[in-house]
Amino acid sequence: MNIIKTEGFKTNLYAIFLTVPLNKKEVTINSLIPAVLRRGTEKYPNQLEINKKLEEMYGASFNCGVDKMGDYQVLKFYMETLSNKYLPEKQNAVEFLKDLVFNPLIENDSFKKEYVDQEKENIKRIIESRKDNKSKYSLDRCIEEMFEGEMYGIYKFGSIEDLEKIDEKNLYEQYKKIINEARIDCFSCGEEIEKIDIPVKRDKEEQVKCELQEHSIKNKEIKEQMDVSQGKLIIGLVTPEGEKSVVSVYNAILGGGANSKLFQNVREKASLAYTAGSSYIRRKNTIFIKTGIETSNYDKAVDIIKKQIEDMKNGNITDDEFNSAKQLIMANLNLIPESQEDLIAYYFDQKLYDENLSLEDYIKSIEKVTKQDVIDLAKDVKLDTIYFLHGQENGKK
Amino acid sequence: MEIIKNNKINETEYIETLENGMKIIVIPKKNTKKKYVIWSTKFGSIDNNFIDPTTNTEVKVPDGVAHYLEHKMFENENGVDSLYKMMALGLDANAYTTNDHTAYLFGCTDNFYEGLDELMDFVQHPYFTDENVEKERGIIGQEIGRYDDEPSWELYVNAMDCLYKNNPIKLDIAGTVESISKITKEILYSCYNTFYHPSNMVMCISGDFEPEKIIEEVKKRLIPREKMAEIKRIYPEEPKGINKKEKEANMGINMPLFMIGYKDELQEDKVKEDLAVQIIFNSLLGKSSKVYQELYNEGLLQTSLDSSYEYSKTYAHALIGGESPNPKKVYEKIKETIKNEEISKEDFERSKKKIYGDLVSEYNDVENIGRMYLSDAIKDVNSMEYIDKIDDISLEYVNEILRKLFKENESIISIVK
Repeated sequence: MNIIKTEGFKTNLYAIFLTVPLNKKEVTINSLIPAVLRRGTEKYPNQLEINKKLEEMYGASFNCGVDKMGDYQVLKFYMETLSNKYLPEKQNAVEFLKDLVFNPLIENDSFKKEYVDQEKENIKRIIESRKDNKSKYSLDRCIEEMFEGEMYGIYKFGSIEDLEKIDEKNLYEQYKKIINEARIDCFSCGEEIEKIDIPVKRDKEEQVKCELQEHSIKNKEIKEQMDVSQGKLIIGLVTPEGEKSVVSVYNAILGGGANSKLFQNVREKASLAYTAGSSYIRRKNTIFIKTGIETSNYDKAVDIIKKQIEDMKNGNITDDEFNSAKQLIMANLNLIPESQEDLIAYYFDQKLYDENLSLEDYIKSIEKVTKQDVIDLAKDVKLDTIYFLHGQENGKK
Repeated sequence: MEIIKNNKINETEYIETLENGMKIIVIPKKNTKKKYVIWSTKFGSIDNNFIDPTTNTEVKVPDGVAHYLEHKMFENENGVDSLYKMMALGLDANAYTTNDHTAYLFGCTDNFYEGLDELMDFVQHPYFTDENVEKERGIIGQEIGRYDDEPSWELYVNAMDCLYKNNPIKLDIAGTVESISKITKEILYSCYNTFYHPSNMVMCISGDFEPEKIIEEVKKRLIPREKMAEIKRIYPEEPKGINKKEKEANMGINMPLFMIGYKDELQEDKVKEDLAVQIIFNSLLGKSSKVYQELYNEGLLQTSLDSSYEYSKTYAHALIGGESPNPKKVYEKIKETIKNEEISKEDFERSKKKIYGDLVSEYNDVENIGRMYLSDAIKDVNSMEYIDKIDDISLEYVNEILRKLFKENESIISIVK
């Protein structure tokens, strides 16, 4: 149980996370659980009743979903309400959130068939519509290719094939298993907040753990054609395990913001793109470079990007690049306490990976990084997978 | 200085209109390290035809010029780009253009005054050359290309095309590759001199500030400008009624998107009307409505409808957006509901509670506050009015708006497949 006190917010935010190791066999069925839980509880048996209740609570909001965090799959449940100061009458948000997670509507020792069928259909549609959002799709595809055969390569909603095997009975069995075995983390964030205690008895109390899975370099170059007017180029890099604060600075110099090498060289100098940047997936030792370019500029863009990575290896980093990269990271870290959701996400990640570093200490670890640290690290960064989603050569649809 | 205090949400707003006509709004906020400032000119994509107040002649500019100007404002004579300079200070700096305004902004925890120096310096010092204007064409061309792949953008533009015959809100904010090819540094300077005059600008600031002190800091950084007469904007005459009933685009997406629209030609208090529309949508089509549950259970909707009411000085409309495997069927059901239903007392009271909660939550974050006050101020609305008016609104008024805006009005639908 975690309490994060904040002042100045108009709201309180409560969260419950159920965490299990990613697993190809169970990823689909797990992703269905939040979708079915939000359909009805013992006390509020359908969405109409749930939503009426939330609105009566002066616009409380309940959100849930699934996420991949490194090699874990996390089922997330959030309840946000106005803090007591702004409420004409006190509301029981914690009880309601607990009900939604732990007291679902059960009929004959299974979930309600109608809800399960409908939510299966919904997830099926999400999977089928993956290609609708080209930017997200291209990143997902690069992850799949780069982590082929590894846990992290699994798509978070799983597959239609596995979806078809699920019914109201086996889903309920899986739910009971998750409630019994998953790691459970609860967070309360705000003023005058309540604790969330877990209302179920569990067989064992030790927390699930998974080791970081070894990654083998793929050296892939994948091109996929689709009806797009702008090509989406994604490049996956592997970064060394070790000082993550140094990798954060490396990433910020390479593609974190407008002063980064990628933005300056791909966009500003070569005018090839509107967006060009990179993001660091700390828990997977991976950096993804993302940019949107014309199909015919593929070779040019790849060359410029490779050159930036080479430059960093050779120590070609200006003081300006280095300093503004650090500033950018600090500025982002300083903003974490300004969002209850970010605060919870930060401390959850720290707990899940047993680091328990306070935000202050984390900021200090970034401050300590030197340019030489970054140059030393740059030598061990390896290019892994290039993925390009493109239209036809002439650039037109 | 005008001071407006609201005890319900425990916030106070300070408004100062300077001698040069510029308006500054400050919403101080204790217990936060984050500071936010947004400075805007009332110059958007719809302002493509106007009378230059200094020469009194009519000017027509290519579509997309406000947005092009936004890109070029960051350029400086010494070659330093102000956006990068601000980012190097650790500021979260950005700019954007809408149909009725262009805004420059940043949020930060440290280096606020260094950031204010830079922001107020570059916005007051345009530097355009033939070369730097030319260089931007490729980048903006890619930005336009990005929108072309964005189904939700296509959906919105087509909805506007259905609602309006002439109003330039139906145009792409960034223009087209063709229209931006005509933009020159002379056009940019001329638009700058007209629209970036303090009398046409608003600044909103939120964070842990003393209002008098921060207003002084802003005044110190303002460069004196000659007084300027009001800019007369020329908008094409918009006929009554909709332009066309529907528009469908094929973009090869799996889950079709739709947007239903109602053009609003009522002369109401827009804040009150906005709240009434929100109550109507929440009661009839929101997550707690019977209709939404039916559509959901039939698999026609998967996520809640995204309803909104948009207005400015030249347009107003209500929109209902969503995704569905069968948009036409959803459309029929929504039309039928709107035609036959009235808002009940119970739904009305519950919706009011929800909207109150949503309004209060807006005050969680200084960035949200700044953006909200700014975009309302552009429309000559004070955001604080919403919190006050939600209490006063009556069920009778809501049902009257339901009748006049929805029941007696023709609707449109835009679909992207």
